[in-house]
Amino acid sequence: MYSRKLRFISLLLVTMLFLALGSSALAQDAPLELQMTWWGSQNRHDRTIAVIEMYEAANPDIDIVYEFSNFTDYWPLVQTKAAGNQLPCIMQQDYQYLAEWANRGLLYPLDPFFTDGIIDISNVDQSILDSGSIDGQVYGLSLGTNSPSMILDVDAFEAAGIELPPLDWTYADFEAIATQLHDELGIWAISYGMDDVQMWRGVYISRGEWIFNDEGTALGYEDDQPFVDYLNMIRRLQESGAIASGEEQVEASANGHENSPIVTSGEAMRYQWSNQVVSIFSAAGEDRHFRLWPLPRTEGGASANYLKPSMFLSVPSQCENPEEAAAFLDFFTNSLEANEVLFAERGVPISTAVQDHLRPMLDTVGAETFAFIATVAEDASPNPPPEPQGWSDISANVYGPEFAEPIRYGLLTPEDGVVILREQADAILAQNE
Amino acid sequence: MQNVQALPAKNVQQDKRKKQIRDGLIYHLLVGLVGLLMLYPILWLVSSSLKPADEIWTSVYSLVPSTFRFENYVNGWRGFGGISFLTFYKNSFFYTTVATIFTVTSSLVVAYGFARIKFRGKKIWFTVMLLTLMLPDQVLIIPQYIVFSQLDWINTFLPLLIPRLGGSVFFIFMIIQFIRGIPIDLDEAAMIDGANQFGVFYSVILPQLKPAFITAAIFSFYWTWDDFFGPLIYLTDPNLYTVSIALRNFSDSTSVTDWGAVFAMLTLSLVPVFLLFIFFQRYLVEGIATTGLKG
Amino acid sequence: MSKPAAALPVSGTVQQEPVQARARVKTRNKDFKQSDLAGYLFISPWLIGFLLFGLIPLLMSLWLAFTDYDILSPTTNFVGLDNFERMFFQDARYGRSVAATFRYVFASVPLRLAFALGVAILLNTKRRGVYWYRAAYYVPSIIGGSVAVAVMWRQIFGREGVVNAVAQMLGMDPVNWFGNPDTALWTLILLAVWQFGSPMLIFLAGLRQIPAEMYESASIDGATAWNKFLSITLPLLTPIIFFNLIMQTIGSFKVFTQAFIVTGGAPLDSTLFYSLYLYNRGFANFQMGYAAAMAWVMLLVIAVLTAVSFKLSSYWVFYETDVR
Repeated sequence: MYSRKLRFISLLLVTMLFLALGSSALAQDAPLELQMTWWGSQNRHDRTIAVIEMYEAANPDIDIVYEFSNFTDYWPLVQTKAAGNQLPCIMQQDYQYLAEWANRGLLYPLDPFFTDGIIDISNVDQSILDSGSIDGQVYGLSLGTNSPSMILDVDAFEAAGIELPPLDWTYADFEAIATQLHDELGIWAISYGMDDVQMWRGVYISRGEWIFNDEGTALGYEDDQPFVDYLNMIRRLQESGAIASGEEQVEASANGHENSPIVTSGEAMRYQWSNQVVSIFSAAGEDRHFRLWPLPRTEGGASANYLKPSMFLSVPSQCENPEEAAAFLDFFTNSLEANEVLFAERGVPISTAVQDHLRPMLDTVGAETFAFIATVAEDASPNPPPEPQGWSDISANVYGPEFAEPIRYGLLTPEDGVVILREQADAILAQNE
Repeated sequence: MQNVQALPAKNVQQDKRKKQIRDGLIYHLLVGLVGLLMLYPILWLVSSSLKPADEIWTSVYSLVPSTFRFENYVNGWRGFGGISFLTFYKNSFFYTTVATIFTVTSSLVVAYGFARIKFRGKKIWFTVMLLTLMLPDQVLIIPQYIVFSQLDWINTFLPLLIPRLGGSVFFIFMIIQFIRGIPIDLDEAAMIDGANQFGVFYSVILPQLKPAFITAAIFSFYWTWDDFFGPLIYLTDPNLYTVSIALRNFSDSTSVTDWGAVFAMLTLSLVPVFLLFIFFQRYLVEGIATTGLKG
Repeated sequence: MSKPAAALPVSGTVQQEPVQARARVKTRNKDFKQSDLAGYLFISPWLIGFLLFGLIPLLMSLWLAFTDYDILSPTTNFVGLDNFERMFFQDARYGRSVAATFRYVFASVPLRLAFALGVAILLNTKRRGVYWYRAAYYVPSIIGGSVAVAVMWRQIFGREGVVNAVAQMLGMDPVNWFGNPDTALWTLILLAVWQFGSPMLIFLAGLRQIPAEMYESASIDGATAWNKFLSITLPLLTPIIFFNLIMQTIGSFKVFTQAFIVTGGAPLDSTLFYSLYLYNRGFANFQMGYAAAMAWVMLLVIAVLTAVSFKLSSYWVFYETDVR
């Protein structure tokens, strides 16, 4: 309400002032102009622009106007656009923000386009569509499948005389292997990342639980002990030097994936989302041997892995030509020709037909990623529901600064930490009641 | 400052010259060494732009690349999807030049008003002006965007250029301080000779503001050149992107970054600003000769 | 610093006709209307620009400070003083961001200004090569806030970076500059000092404006270099010193880019600058109302400090216009 009033008042003031100046603002609508925006770096910009030009050549009545930025700049940019009612017709979306956007009515549900046949989903698994759905409606079409992974440096394992762990390795296995790697090689087993928020999710997913309750009004588990045990294990590894100290982690995590310790042989393992491993594989070079492994899990528990969309394309509700936008989504998802150009750069394509088409052309990294996703799919835990509103507050202002970071620096015990985490997270979530 | 003065005794003169040479040596040693220290990161940057990507990380403080990789420049210059840095440079030059002319000209005029003319409400407006500088820009982004989108100015240079016609508070205040350092006698002399405020501004104050004016021009050029948030928000068509946005679009925390190209294009982007500085600082130095004030 | 001008031998001429001068000022004060018009004409570019483009966003942000505006929602609710209450009583990170910002301001502003003034004086000469020195000292300030600067600074202060290499040569233990909460802030302070070019250039321009005749006549009176610095350079430079002090203080309170690209606020919030925190709250956590409240609190703090500085300035800043 207030916001509309705000806009109205500002509109009124501005119009008055500018009528006085004789400035005229005429909106010119080109009916078949579609705007598109995404984040990425040079490689993705090049590929996406090529596909857009391909589509325009095939559809002369459509003009796609595009805009791109990096991930950091992207979010303030699109939020500002949302506030100014200037959202494009096609926007790249991220899993962590999809619910925040969809819940506020900023995105079109895509289901009507599936039933109309504008977007062909015959080669797409239902679970993948579900991963972009909120309250039973799909708001984002996945651009690639993704899962958290451990990159294992096979050469380092060999040098240490350690066999690669079983695919269903447990936290105890992880501790033993990490200790052994460190003892044998004198490098970090893994420099950082093991107290990432994903591990919090993982500990409870592995126990068949979820960190939030169904209503999103409080934490969803009663027992803090498994997480305390996990973090104490990480603390032990930090103390023995198998995991970097708090201070060292800051340096190890700086300056982009290309500079990560696994590339410079400073660690034997690394935690990374599977669609982001390309930069590490290519920075390390051809003569290194890396494998992707699922995350370790609770003893006797389910997989801590699940298949998550790497990112989505969504159609904002401010768009005036949603059908035309949906048609482009279909092209992006199903066209073999387009996907030859896109080349799984955003993650393993969701269409099985596209996957089959690309498989013979893959390079080492691509083949490893495709194989990893296939492996994970065999016993993946079901995809957890999207995080409730307030999640970005919890992860940015509670989990890191009040919990994980003090523990990492040895200023807080995991036992005391989980109490703070629960108390502060519940306080934020209580606003959803 | 050395004032060579003819002194009668020869040995005194010799001593003086010796002292001068010694002073000069100390000066160059000190200023030169610290200067090198200041420059080291820049040299590191330039050498990184020529290194193969992995070497940027591994040989941290070597300033000499093992092989000179000029491909970094080729890959970088290519830009995105057929829009090369040539386009970005053109846009940046346009934006920067116009913005600098607008900002500096207006700031000079406004500063004169605040510094030399007594008028009702001056203190209030000056306070308001300083207050506008104190609010963090981050919370103004959205309100400003709403205003400019109502005007339908999105995807043009208008939101970036038109507000510059109002000058910049930083420069206005800076020039005010410079004007207040200029003795007022000349103003008054000109006034007695029948000049009005505009005449005083144009023929008395303006010529004496050369150092301030050039400083403002250098800053304005560089700050505009470097500004990315405005162009990011308001320019949607990649054909309008400036160098600063293009630079940011190279590196992404969630995907592959060609660091060689990043460093190469950053190095190139420094060239115009550097040349401008070299060119203008001559005038900055000449300023002293033209300051022909009577005490 | 005392009121210097009167004591200067060189300004003797200035004082010759004080009575007449005062009379002139008085006559000018009489025709108020004309000078009002001229004043407003001169400041009109700024005034119009402010009324058109500055005022509305400013008032909108003030209003937002009392709402739960989250950018994306269609509705925004008035929440009274909730944002302020939360800021002062419930938000632990807020206190840390205030502490980090104050530490930064009080360390970086004096260091940066002292360095800038010192170098400006050293470079205010006609010695051979001074062009190149000036360029060398200014260049660090033109590389700005690009992500490559973050990489560079991280590498220089990295475990195997040049700073630690020098430290080891001097027999010290290498320091984890970015990882240690006590030293991380100092890397940013040093970055600010290293990029000291803009106050330096302003000082240099200020030094350039000091009439050479003043030094010459002082030399004839037998003043030493140090005397000249104290009795001519410093007093005549006070308007510029004051300007740099005010602007650097405001700028340091609002510092954003360095922490945003280099440290991200880590470790343990020791570099969580105020602007960075409010940016994160506003854009990453969808709490723009809260961010606006934070911004206006900051405006109040800076405004009070600036007002105090202006009051105090009459004791040490010397303006030519004040002489008469």
